[in-house]
Amino acid sequence: MFRKVLIANRGEIAVRVMRTLREMGIASVAVFSDADRTSRHVRMADEAEHIGPSPSAESYLRIDRILDAATRHGAEAIHPGYGFLSENAEFAQACEDAGLVFIGPSAESIRMMGSKTAARRTAMAAGAPVVPGVDHAITFEEAREFGHTHGYPVLLKAVAGGGGKGMRAVEREPDLESAFRNAASEALRAFGSAEIYVERLIRKPRHIEIQILGDRHGNLVHLGERECSLQRRHQKVMEECPSPLVAQHPEMRHEMGQAAIRAARAAGYYNAGTVEFLVDQERRFYFLEMNTRLQVEHPITELATGLDLVRLQVEIAAGGRLPFTQEQVAWRGSAIECRIYAEDPYSNFLPFPGKITRLTRPLGPGIRIDGCIYGGWVVPMEYDPLLAKLAVWAGTREAAIERLMRALSEYDVSGIRTNIGFFRQILEDAEFRAGRLSTAFIDEFFERHAAPQPPGDLTAVAALAAALHTLARNGAPEARPAASRWLQTGRSELLR
Amino acid sequence: MKLALTINGAEHAIDLLAPAPACRFQLGDSPERSAQVEMPEPGVYSVLMDGRSYDAYVEETPNGLVVSLQGYHFEIEARDPRRWSRKAAGSGGEGVETIASSMPGKVVRVLVAVGDTVEAGQGIAVVEAMKMQNEMKARRAGKVLSVAAKEGATVRAGEILATIG
Repeated sequence: MFRKVLIANRGEIAVRVMRTLREMGIASVAVFSDADRTSRHVRMADEAEHIGPSPSAESYLRIDRILDAATRHGAEAIHPGYGFLSENAEFAQACEDAGLVFIGPSAESIRMMGSKTAARRTAMAAGAPVVPGVDHAITFEEAREFGHTHGYPVLLKAVAGGGGKGMRAVEREPDLESAFRNAASEALRAFGSAEIYVERLIRKPRHIEIQILGDRHGNLVHLGERECSLQRRHQKVMEECPSPLVAQHPEMRHEMGQAAIRAARAAGYYNAGTVEFLVDQERRFYFLEMNTRLQVEHPITELATGLDLVRLQVEIAAGGRLPFTQEQVAWRGSAIECRIYAEDPYSNFLPFPGKITRLTRPLGPGIRIDGCIYGGWVVPMEYDPLLAKLAVWAGTREAAIERLMRALSEYDVSGIRTNIGFFRQILEDAEFRAGRLSTAFIDEFFERHAAPQPPGDLTAVAALAAALHTLARNGAPEARPAASRWLQTGRSELLR
Repeated sequence: MKLALTINGAEHAIDLLAPAPACRFQLGDSPERSAQVEMPEPGVYSVLMDGRSYDAYVEETPNGLVVSLQGYHFEIEARDPRRWSRKAAGSGGEGVETIASSMPGKVVRVLVAVGDTVEAGQGIAVVEAMKMQNEMKARRAGKVLSVAAKEGATVRAGEILATIG
């Protein structure tokens, strides 16, 4: 087993990986940019190395500096986390070339699954169903031809895409030309490539994905599904395992699981990976893409299966065999995760970086938090707004929802705005409770609900607190008797 | 002890009849209420009212107070009419519109200069945070009176970028 591992990442995922490394008795090396000197992952690591200025292009995306740090610290392996270089085949190759173990799949598998069109070809060859579409970059005329043949609506997507960038839904042919132009220019800006492909648009699909895990000896299993239909700007905000749909149709887990394994096997895949599917309203599923890394929402799979995916990743990278067979994988209860973002859900999910003035985390039964924040930390404006992942486990979906409501009511992050209150509103929604989910859920949710209006008693309490606070800060009126000890304490605390 | 409060944009008045811990207060014309109040942590008010328990988190921001309570956020500006008075943050003179940043971030582009004529919906400045760019727009047509935004500068939420008259 490795003695020392470098984590080529930051934020909550770097902290998550370090936790398992520590349990395994493996030393961890953090890397950090200027903006992250006091970030949790640096403070928590056994060793740390500065790798450059705040922009990620000059730090977390610099392969040379990261390899240099690994060599200097004597790390034997590199965990890439998610995002940054985690799905960069060149980086995986450079690690191997430098004699370091890349904790993930081979560079070749990343290449085969990294571009959406290449992944689509691989999946089709393996017999996994795909959304009708083309598997190569096309011209505008070819896109129009596709619309003629398959009908509208269609979806234009960037070949090098991800996160909804360079993506346009087109309802009718007259809109195609400008949509094609906009998608191409957005793709060029985001990914450096203007290549576009087209497929049929599935209306209001569910997003359900399968976690797979394989070793370097040819063993490959799936660890069940995660439903990630709740998204804003094509980014997931809430995930659950089991999927409410799969819970009603248990055969889907096996069918999708086998399709995922076939696609992964076709790419010679090992280590942890995720095969994403769209599911239409007739419960037909279509291969969407493969993420060749650990997924943000992996904790819910861990809660439902009792496995530690990071430990398994490390063991597999060190040459170990999968310690269980497909038949030995068991799922228990229900797990739900909320991604706590520094953003204002009632103002179009605009980011809201800043200083966390106070932090209170939920505790108690069934709660898991993967986070990197602390009171007094300034959330940098250079990176992703993900602050923490709050996951709960309970025996049933209903109990998990109640537990999540309880946990969110204990969670206070002051100084910045977060989506904590928004999650409570979603959890109370009848459609959510009924498990009627789709990627259009959040947009439709805002059509059904205005921003929540607080009950009158809460307004009275807030007014009272604000008045007392103002009084304590500005001094008690002189007409009153000498300020109470309570006020004096309050004032001295506040005037420090 | 009377205070004028602006709570999420609405005007209220509170009359504190007895100080903490055994508070009595009246909000607007509603009946007088009693509440037992302690401050167990700095900025945290534990309020017992009508047998219910509330934890209110008060935080000071450049635009006033933000009170967090059971997942709700109240933006409150409190004014003691006898001690200090202050115009609502961000308000300018007659007929002047201020364009404020709706999020904290960095100004990446300033799109107008003093003296420019702008139309409603026209972009004034682009602010970036956390890999997302957001264009701050004029709500109505007019002439740019001042531009406070500077490219590369960091701004707070609510910070004024420009004024239009």
